[in-house]
Amino acid sequence: MSLCHSYMPNYFSIDDILSSQERVSCKIEVKLPGLGYLDVSSESPDLQSGTKLDLPHWLAYPMNSRTHPFVSIEVPKIYKEAYREILTADACAVALNKWSCYFYEFGIHLAQYEHSDCNLIQDLLLQAFKSRFRLVMDWAHNTGTDPTVGLQLPILERKLFLTGRKSRCLLISWLKEGGGSIETSEMVANHKKRKRAELEDENT
Amino acid sequence: MDPNEVEFLGEKQLVTIIPSFTFNQIHLISGSIGPFRAGLPTQVPIWLAVNLKQQQKCRIVGQEWMDAKLLIDVKDEEKTSKFFTKMPSDHYMDETLMLLGVAPEDIPQAEEIRTIVKDLWDIRMSKLRTSVDAFMKSDSAFAKLDHLTPMEINCIRPSLPHALDQRDRIQTCGSRPRDSQDTQRS
Repeated sequence: MSLCHSYMPNYFSIDDILSSQERVSCKIEVKLPGLGYLDVSSESPDLQSGTKLDLPHWLAYPMNSRTHPFVSIEVPKIYKEAYREILTADACAVALNKWSCYFYEFGIHLAQYEHSDCNLIQDLLLQAFKSRFRLVMDWAHNTGTDPTVGLQLPILERKLFLTGRKSRCLLISWLKEGGGSIETSEMVANHKKRKRAELEDENT
Repeated sequence: MDPNEVEFLGEKQLVTIIPSFTFNQIHLISGSIGPFRAGLPTQVPIWLAVNLKQQQKCRIVGQEWMDAKLLIDVKDEEKTSKFFTKMPSDHYMDETLMLLGVAPEDIPQAEEIRTIVKDLWDIRMSKLRTSVDAFMKSDSAFAKLDHLTPMEINCIRPSLPHALDQRDRIQTCGSRPRDSQDTQRS
């Protein structure tokens, strides 16, 4: 197995881009001229203040800046009191995937907003992640598990599950069959080394 | 890491063999081996022992700790102790698999040893799983586990390091100052 890194959002990360597409419900605070087309139900060319809209996170976040908030946001219900209580009761029993595929990723995005409920999101995510880790690890380490079980997990846990499972399968096959042959690591194979033959060509 | 790679590291351990041929000393990068005198025990790395055994050129004398009685004691101690106890060898699992796999007839009580080592491995793995879980649930940033062998450490990779990375991400997400981002954007 090649050296594998854990997931970190970056500019090119598709999961990060997709997670910023999740919708946040917003209330428009200032009249926004010429943006009426965002609200399909209204006929006026301008976006009136007081309108409620579901905007994707990447749009809502800059519009909710602290100095000039154009919109005020409302935290999605899955991060609110009622759902928080469900998680506190037993996080392992919940199919988080049904709530949101990007439960953790979106939560991390939301925690950056200036909103009273947002401060609690981080704690909620942390508690949920900690108590569910055992479940994910047990699934990954138990080879009897159905491989499709990973689809019930949100993206962040699914990645952990898949890498854990992969290393487990390698270990099981080692225990059963003993060592096979070691392969050249990908990094070494891809390393652009000047071949001796080429060097000799240059010299002549 | 691959279990094969850990096994590769374990192959450097020395084991005693009784060669059935005579040969001069061999000089290798890691050190000299031999000389081989037929019938006289000598110490060689496991990879060479396995190779010679496959060619029927030697008899393997098991490691000193490959003794059912001693291993039962180790197992009992492991069972009663709350922590990990010191193993007779850092590569006990890989050595057992390699040596017993290639020369089960040379080592007395091979089947018993195999079973006990497997039990030992299972006890330690379940201990490891419990402590990893306790560590995740606690808020501590580090944990100290003595006497874990490379193969066991490799078992919780990459799950545990990756999970800790993610825990760290969630822990630091709220503390990122927003104003600095805004100024960067404008």
